[in-house]
Amino acid sequence: MDKAQIIQLLGSALAIGLMVLLAGWARIARPMPRLTAQGARDLLAVEFPDEPVDAVWIDGDGAGLVARSGDQALVLWRKGDGYVAREAPLSRLSEARLVDGRVRLKLGDGAPRLAVPNGVWPPLELRA
Amino acid sequence: MKTFDPVQMAIPFFVVAVFLEILLARLGKTKAHYEPRDTAMSLTMGLGSTIAGLFTAGITFAAALWVYEHRLFTIPMNAVWAWVALFFAEDLTYYWFHRLAHERRVWWASHVNHHTSTHYNLSTALRQTWTGGIAGTWLLWLPLSFLGFPPAMVAIQKGVSLVYQFWIHTESIKRMPRWFEAVFNTPSHHRVHHARNARYLDANYAGILIIWDRMFGTFIPEVDEEPCRYGTVKNLGNFNLLHNVFHEWVGIGKDVVAQPRHALGYIFGPPGWSHDGSRDTSHTLKAKWRARTSAAKAREDTAA
Repeated sequence: MDKAQIIQLLGSALAIGLMVLLAGWARIARPMPRLTAQGARDLLAVEFPDEPVDAVWIDGDGAGLVARSGDQALVLWRKGDGYVAREAPLSRLSEARLVDGRVRLKLGDGAPRLAVPNGVWPPLELRA
Repeated sequence: MKTFDPVQMAIPFFVVAVFLEILLARLGKTKAHYEPRDTAMSLTMGLGSTIAGLFTAGITFAAALWVYEHRLFTIPMNAVWAWVALFFAEDLTYYWFHRLAHERRVWWASHVNHHTSTHYNLSTALRQTWTGGIAGTWLLWLPLSFLGFPPAMVAIQKGVSLVYQFWIHTESIKRMPRWFEAVFNTPSHHRVHHARNARYLDANYAGILIIWDRMFGTFIPEVDEEPCRYGTVKNLGNFNLLHNVFHEWVGIGKDVVAQPRHALGYIFGPPGWSHDGSRDTSHTLKAKWRARTSAAKAREDTAA
């Protein structure tokens, strides 16, 4: 790398920092209201259109949900200003341990920590 | 003729345009959403792509030069007709590169990170690959040099195409004039390309001209009743930069190790292909969507 390239690289890094700061300051991310029962159903219909939903549990923060679909768990959790969807065997998620009122679900490249307000995991909705 | 890099020249314009889009969105003058971590990922991918490109630039340019030495014709770099011919030839090459980059997993592995943002704004345009050189998609441009276009000329036109594609990564522009939408790639056409809705998958591969999609049957128009949802079919579960760069490569590696007899399918099959059919490809997702749509229509007709 010559001097000009290094200067350009540093300038680019500075510009990136400024643009990210500006994006944070502008507060123009998508609004993310707490999940409601209807909102949860709507999200599930979009992300898992072919899966029948037997029951839905929404976490205490209103930022994630686990739905029972037969012996499968349909999981949605907030990432940034959107949601990530994953499917896993319900039995595996039921084995997750509750720590400080939260359960950490290991789902490949994501590990949401969902709030369990009454300290009961798995919640009644997810029990077959 | 003096050569230049259109992308390098356009970088200040890219920065100013992103600043403007954010500010105008903040003032409510245009439609754009920016999430800081998503923005950071897109912009860092752009910078990293430039650096990664330096490592393979020598090989790719040397290969183009070698091919050019064995060219069929000698095409002058200073002739207008040559630039017009190259404009169409390069854009057609881009179409097929882009189509392969979506329809074959090994090339999707290097291109997927351009599609992992759940946003569609000008910063998304800069979310460029780090592994394109390794994936070898640059080989597709070699026939242009074999025909006789000087490698520098091809590089310039590739840059022009990339710069053109910057401005179409926006929700701020709803539709261009009808004649423009008919011929050129536009924000509307490219929103469809970045959408993860089943109806929009594997469509609108165009670089500058949308005519190739219309000719080869991959054109899908944006419809107002189904707004685009952006990202990949299975959105990433974290904001980890390296995961974004390498996750599909790692996925290929795991599948090949687990099923060596089906290695070719996992490498060169469409994204989502599996030896036992347990995963969804764009094709199966679209088929399911069509079945749901037909069933819903049948229910409506029965009710009526």
